[in-house]
Amino acid sequence: MLDDNLDPTISPKESDSFKERATPMGKATINDFGEVYSSYAAGCLDPAFCLLVETQAALRPEVARAVARAETIAGVFFESEERAAVSAGAMDAALAMIDAFEAGEPPSTRMQAATLAGEGLDELLDLPEPLRETALSSFQTNKWQGLTQGIRRLKLDAGSDAEVELYRIEPGCTVPKHSHKGSEFTLVVSGGFSDESGSFGPGDLSLKGPNDTHQPTGDLDGVCYALAVRDGGLKFTGVMGLIQRLVGQ
Amino acid sequence: MTLLSRKGCNSSGLSALYECEAAQGKHVSLETTGSDPSERERLADCIEQIAAAQSRAAFAEVFEYFAPRLKSYLMRLGSDSSSAEEIMQEVMLNVWRKAGQYDRRQASVSTWIFRIARNRRIDTLRRTNKPELDAEDPMLQPAPAEQPDITVNRAQLEVKVRDVIETLPEEQLVLLKAAFYEGLSHSEIAKSFGLPLGTVKSRIRLAFMRLRGSLERDH
Repeated sequence: MLDDNLDPTISPKESDSFKERATPMGKATINDFGEVYSSYAAGCLDPAFCLLVETQAALRPEVARAVARAETIAGVFFESEERAAVSAGAMDAALAMIDAFEAGEPPSTRMQAATLAGEGLDELLDLPEPLRETALSSFQTNKWQGLTQGIRRLKLDAGSDAEVELYRIEPGCTVPKHSHKGSEFTLVVSGGFSDESGSFGPGDLSLKGPNDTHQPTGDLDGVCYALAVRDGGLKFTGVMGLIQRLVGQ
Repeated sequence: MTLLSRKGCNSSGLSALYECEAAQGKHVSLETTGSDPSERERLADCIEQIAAAQSRAAFAEVFEYFAPRLKSYLMRLGSDSSSAEEIMQEVMLNVWRKAGQYDRRQASVSTWIFRIARNRRIDTLRRTNKPELDAEDPMLQPAPAEQPDITVNRAQLEVKVRDVIETLPEEQLVLLKAAFYEGLSHSEIAKSFGLPLGTVKSRIRLAFMRLRGSLERDH
């Protein structure tokens, strides 16, 4: 019996613009993100939202399966991709890169984690990949920012114009009221929080519109880590380096 | 989902081509798979030879097959020619480095390399000018504890997806490709193909039901 509720290609709502929602959506289900998974599989998704998908896939088997299915479909179509003209020296360059790799890269180009000294490194080591690497890498330049008692956040450099942060919420502590333009997507990575729309645990995704001023409170059974992405009301236009513009209709 | 998805720069061109040819009654021959089983076997053999013997000859075969496709894919997503080649080279280096992780029972080389390319591209966007973390640093080991062990049966997926894609009606196939390979939203596909949104959704749903229908309940 086919279960439409787990079909990631079906969006039950017209999902063209999350940011226009005025009412809190609460817990977003896999259904709401059908086109996100296919877009992710194709490599067309903004990196901040890639991080959300990848982290959720690390926490939820059904998401991992949906992503794997989408990737397999994309992989099959990849075989019938056109063949672009490759420069004459490309093969030689590739072999040269292999030779260089096999000879060992100079150690000076690699950061040692020991140099990432400072409070708050250990806890980042427990995050699932690729969030872990993003957090460790961001930790080189950003610091944990204390918002209030028991609430900290770390800005993540995710390669996106969207704001991406890792929240650390201690048991029973409440994130201060913050309003924001646009939409905010918050994924619980570990632990849990509750707000007016309900209770969220690992892998749950909370979706808020610009009129929602939610104040999540950390569950009492442990520290909660949550990944938050805010689009800030930005329409992603223009070409940003290798990021292709998100085309509005 | 205009905010979250992005159109490949040639995608409307490709879609328009299909639509035009179909309208003219031409048989739109969309190559569903650019390879036959023996070619897939050959490529898998090559990856294994890279892993087992660091065979540069095997690497050259893989490069010859995939480099032009990778470059085309990357350019379609918006890179210019030289950037696309640069990323393509990084992908091929990763193919070399990760050859030991390839398991031919799990996925075809195409799917495997495609994922490397997709991931490499995201990494490029994320890691602007930051020194790379040393993966061998003991302080960064071990891997995260208590991560739920999520295994996906990719082998089964690969076989079923290929079987179904071979037999999908053209009208579903082109939309499936637009969604999953070109990364278009359903609205963008509707506009590109000149179809009602409901038609797009139902055709993709039908294709997807065939894909899921041939899979055993895996959850």
